[in-house]
Amino acid sequence: MTKDYSVELEVIEGNPSLRALDDVIIKPIDARPTKKYNILLSITVTLLLIMAVCIGLTFYYGVGLWGNNQPVAWAFAITNFVFWVGIGHAGTLISAILYLLRQQWRNGIARFAEAMTIFAVICAGMFPIIHMGRPWLAGYLIPYPNTHLIWPNFISPLVWDVFAVSTYLTVSLVFWYVGLIPDFATLRDRATNKVKKTIYSLFSLGWRNSSRHWRHYEKVYMILAGLATPLVLSVHTVVSWDFAAAIIPGWHSTIFPPYFVAGAIFSGFAMVSTVLIFVRTVFNMEHIITIDHIEKMNKIILLTGSMVGYAYIVEWFMSWYSGTPFELFTAMNRAFGPYAWAYWVMMSCNVFFPQLFWFKKIRRSIPITLVLVILVNVGMWFERFVIIVTSLSRDFLPSSWHNYHPTIYDFGILFGSFGLFFTLILLFAKTLPVVSIAEIKSVSKDAQPGHNGGD
Amino acid sequence: MPDKKLFGVTALFDSPDGILNAAKKIKEDGYKKYDFNTPYPIHGMDDVISSKPSKLGYITLFFGFSAAAFILSFMWWTLAISYPLVIGGKPYFPLPAFVPITFEFTVLLAVLSTVFGMIAVAFNLPYNSHPLLDTEYMRNVTSDKYGAVIEASDPQFEENKVKEYLKSLGGKSIELIYEPEELKLKVFEPRFLVFLTIVAVLSSAVTYISLNKLMYLPPFDFMLNQKKGSAQEESSFFADKHEMRKPPVGTVARGFLPYEFLGVADTNQFYGNPLLPTKKVLALGQEKFLTFCSPCHGNYGDGSSRLMGQFPPGPTLHSATVIGYSDGKIYNIITNGQNVMPSYAYQITREQRWAIINYIRVLQRSGNPKPSDFTAINKTDKESGNVQN
Amino acid sequence: MSKIESGYIKRELPKNIGNVGLVLLVVGIILSILAYLTDPARAAFAYLTAFIFLICVGLGSLFLVTLEYAAGAVWSVPFRRISEFFASSVPYFILLVIPLFFSMHNLFTWMNPEVVARDKVLQGRMVYLNVPFFVVRDTVIFLIWWLFYALLIKNSRKQDISADQNLTSRNIKLSMAFIPIFAFTISIISFDWMMSMTPKWFSTIFGVYLFAGSTWVALAVLTLVAVLLTENGYLSPKVKRDHYYSLGTLMLAFTVFWAYIAFAQYMLQWYGNLPEEIIYFIHRWAGGWKYVSLTLVIVHFIVPFLILLPRSSKTNPKILVFVSIWIIAAQYLDSYWLVMPDMVNNGFIYSFSWIDISFPIAVVGLVIVLFNSMVKKYNLIPLGDPKLQRSFDFQL
Repeated sequence: MTKDYSVELEVIEGNPSLRALDDVIIKPIDARPTKKYNILLSITVTLLLIMAVCIGLTFYYGVGLWGNNQPVAWAFAITNFVFWVGIGHAGTLISAILYLLRQQWRNGIARFAEAMTIFAVICAGMFPIIHMGRPWLAGYLIPYPNTHLIWPNFISPLVWDVFAVSTYLTVSLVFWYVGLIPDFATLRDRATNKVKKTIYSLFSLGWRNSSRHWRHYEKVYMILAGLATPLVLSVHTVVSWDFAAAIIPGWHSTIFPPYFVAGAIFSGFAMVSTVLIFVRTVFNMEHIITIDHIEKMNKIILLTGSMVGYAYIVEWFMSWYSGTPFELFTAMNRAFGPYAWAYWVMMSCNVFFPQLFWFKKIRRSIPITLVLVILVNVGMWFERFVIIVTSLSRDFLPSSWHNYHPTIYDFGILFGSFGLFFTLILLFAKTLPVVSIAEIKSVSKDAQPGHNGGD
Repeated sequence: MPDKKLFGVTALFDSPDGILNAAKKIKEDGYKKYDFNTPYPIHGMDDVISSKPSKLGYITLFFGFSAAAFILSFMWWTLAISYPLVIGGKPYFPLPAFVPITFEFTVLLAVLSTVFGMIAVAFNLPYNSHPLLDTEYMRNVTSDKYGAVIEASDPQFEENKVKEYLKSLGGKSIELIYEPEELKLKVFEPRFLVFLTIVAVLSSAVTYISLNKLMYLPPFDFMLNQKKGSAQEESSFFADKHEMRKPPVGTVARGFLPYEFLGVADTNQFYGNPLLPTKKVLALGQEKFLTFCSPCHGNYGDGSSRLMGQFPPGPTLHSATVIGYSDGKIYNIITNGQNVMPSYAYQITREQRWAIINYIRVLQRSGNPKPSDFTAINKTDKESGNVQN
Repeated sequence: MSKIESGYIKRELPKNIGNVGLVLLVVGIILSILAYLTDPARAAFAYLTAFIFLICVGLGSLFLVTLEYAAGAVWSVPFRRISEFFASSVPYFILLVIPLFFSMHNLFTWMNPEVVARDKVLQGRMVYLNVPFFVVRDTVIFLIWWLFYALLIKNSRKQDISADQNLTSRNIKLSMAFIPIFAFTISIISFDWMMSMTPKWFSTIFGVYLFAGSTWVALAVLTLVAVLLTENGYLSPKVKRDHYYSLGTLMLAFTVFWAYIAFAQYMLQWYGNLPEEIIYFIHRWAGGWKYVSLTLVIVHFIVPFLILLPRSSKTNPKILVFVSIWIIAAQYLDSYWLVMPDMVNNGFIYSFSWIDISFPIAVVGLVIVLFNSMVKKYNLIPLGDPKLQRSFDFQL
């Protein structure tokens, strides 16, 4: 059956009225939590508590509780940090980049994706702080005038990281909030509960959907999208420079910036897909988050996964071509050394399995998609693990080689961070509209003049 | 009920085409104070509202560039001026390494300034008391209808005329919107003043307690009570009970060559005077001589001590012995002391010592002048018009 | 869609364009042959520069065609045929590379057995960098490109007559297959012809760097011709400022993307300061090359970025034409910067020479002649494309 290319694809299925859209999107906010929701929430909060306990013990006893040691001084903490920052990137890509590319199908998923970005960056930002020896002194890192004339080392990629991630968090929050303003107005006008109404009025800033305001609003949204696009590319670039600026074999590779960015989008979209597959069923939004959208996201996953695969292949080739024995050894060590199992998990989950998305049937199958995207996330976590731990455990001097063994606290914090992430998502789904109401209305059928004859 | 002031008349439309056509007509028919409220932006409405694009982009540009300039200067100042450190062999101002931070900071400030500019300037928000808020009109307009409002302040406004006009354009649910009752909020209302006072007292109390009291209590005093020894403290660790350690014997400060003959009074090797008897040197020498040497040796170096016998008078510096001393010998005497005279090494710097020696030579010459000296003086006097015999 | 609906009238380009192209081509060829006769080593480098530039334009245009199919883009449909015409140089790569194959001993240090005997690294690479394997793999790559070009173009032209949507589906599948192959092959070409010139050097991002520049210049030639043709009535009156805006935005995006890749490569190697890596940039800073490098930053990034940033310039045909020509020249400078400083590896001393101009003249002439011949035979708009009506409806 050939597709008809001359016809524009509808973004929303069926033809719900604007008020019906309001109702279906706002329903979860007004309704009491269901039993299923409470069970899910208790699971995520348990994980969150596990993490809190592990972090508390880490603060009390010190980072020695973890498996970090020389030479693997960076292990789970940084792996998790890069993992979560990467996941955050999909949100901004969907919100900003797809907006600039005028891909209307992004309107149904943008709000959720942005929220996920913010939560992911919160999870990520935790790790650089807790992996310090004395996190309660973290404030001293900020440049303040002192008699020792101690200033931050602006030349270090770690300081670039601080600027990049905090800028990213701030800009994502602002972008998300700007998109929420019209929705707060809608919520305000539907609210019957006085407390809720006050809160929504406050956050909506008195927004009244005036066309005079929409004019500025669209311009600002465009500027934000235009600024957020290079920002999101730069954030994971700066994170990649944490590694690439060093001269350790396996780390010092010029392709790291685009490779990490592609990997971030890859894992981010996988996480977005995972969560949205649940959301659309649980909240009855299958006609707003359609199978076409999932298929498009799978195509992007395929594209970025292939970019990651390209980077792997070029790095292999270059490790041989460079003629440096260290580079070649690192490549061999990754594939056949003590952490080979991690390497092959990474390879299969990142390169082999996503290639299944070449097949249309698989792209449009929800259960298989769910399995594949979870595998992608697993693979991407292992990728960061492999990069960090294999290169550190076996670098230049064989006398310095030593393997890394994570402890139960490392695992507690890793799984607990998922608890934090999903708790925040569940709370978000119940308090704020998961789909951007104003945006989805603007791409519904006959939303813009010119398609109809007129009143 | 007091007479409510009319804000404007509103009408609802069912479709985007309807509101756009109505908007165009309203503009054509010469109305000036109107607005439209739609659940989402309508294409084509911008041209009806305003012919010029939004100016917010300029705010972005300005703050973006300022941010870049600021952060680059800050990084330059801290790492190249305030405390230059060689890091990784890179220059003090490594531009490639500064690019990432500059970029991030530029984006941050550009975004924040644009959004605040939008909210504060373009929207004049937050504005929670606008007459259109909390009306049936607003409830429709944020959901699924498209609305137009013509304000009473419009020059062509007349209540019934406008109502008919909107109906003729196809508008439904014509509504009259009134200004909200003005809340007379006097600034000096007693409740507000009490509130201000409480806030002031609370914030001062909290600040005072946290900075002046709390910081000195454990565990917040960890910076005060550090497990280290301060220079002037008594030490329980070192044998001599001093926390401060002296440099080992024989330590030499950078750029400072020790005087070879320190403590060696009977040497027969002496340094040469590095200073020439220029006006500046002699002025310095005179000043220091009068301060340090004249109490014992007299103002003219003639031994007329003014210590009144409390201390043995210094010998005259015009004796043949002293005239025969080399400059370096006198330097040695000043540095090491001689007989009753103590060492003046701690009071007079090396340069000053040489200057004093130059001045002593002047004094000595003035005490034992040669005939040719007088001719020179007479000549100078004649030239300056000071002829004395 | 019929010609009447689209407003397209098929006509030939004015005669002088064809004539100018022919003159440039002939003059260029004569000068190039002269160059080879007077200074074969120098000519080899200059020819390589021009050849890389031609690959950027031709292959980059082919990539744009496949990108449109793969992404399902709608707004670019009226312009796709122009990119197809620019890609028509792809079949000729295999011929044009032959003089380069014969000049390899001048270009590459690894061709010199004495140098290789002294250097362990080069010995290790001999498995890859040896003449037979080199020639065979590059020939195969050019053939693969030719194959994809032929298939894609055939389907596209057939569709003008039959308006069969299956042809679009087929081209989409071809494009999906082409894109990963393109990624690897353009990387291999860049490694072979440019990276191997500096003996111990390597950079994993080098393929991406060439890709960025190539797509950028392909967009520029597309914009230049699309705008000129539309403004002079050769395309369709339905092409709007909105279409121009999209072209301008893409050019801006790739300006930034190139700068990002170039900076990433430079900054990391500067930061690590490893001898085997930094030699590349030392060669590009020594002598007068410092000024060329700085000029490249200004000309390749800062100026086009500032020009294309405001919204108004992306819809202004005059500015778009100006900046497109600027970009084409800047990309040639990039090619030059990539190839010429490596002369010193083989012991040649660089100084600017008339030879450097002879080859670009030939390339420009070739591109114009090929484009002109295509216009005579085929439509400038893909009339049979099912997305054509939607693309005319496109608005921001």
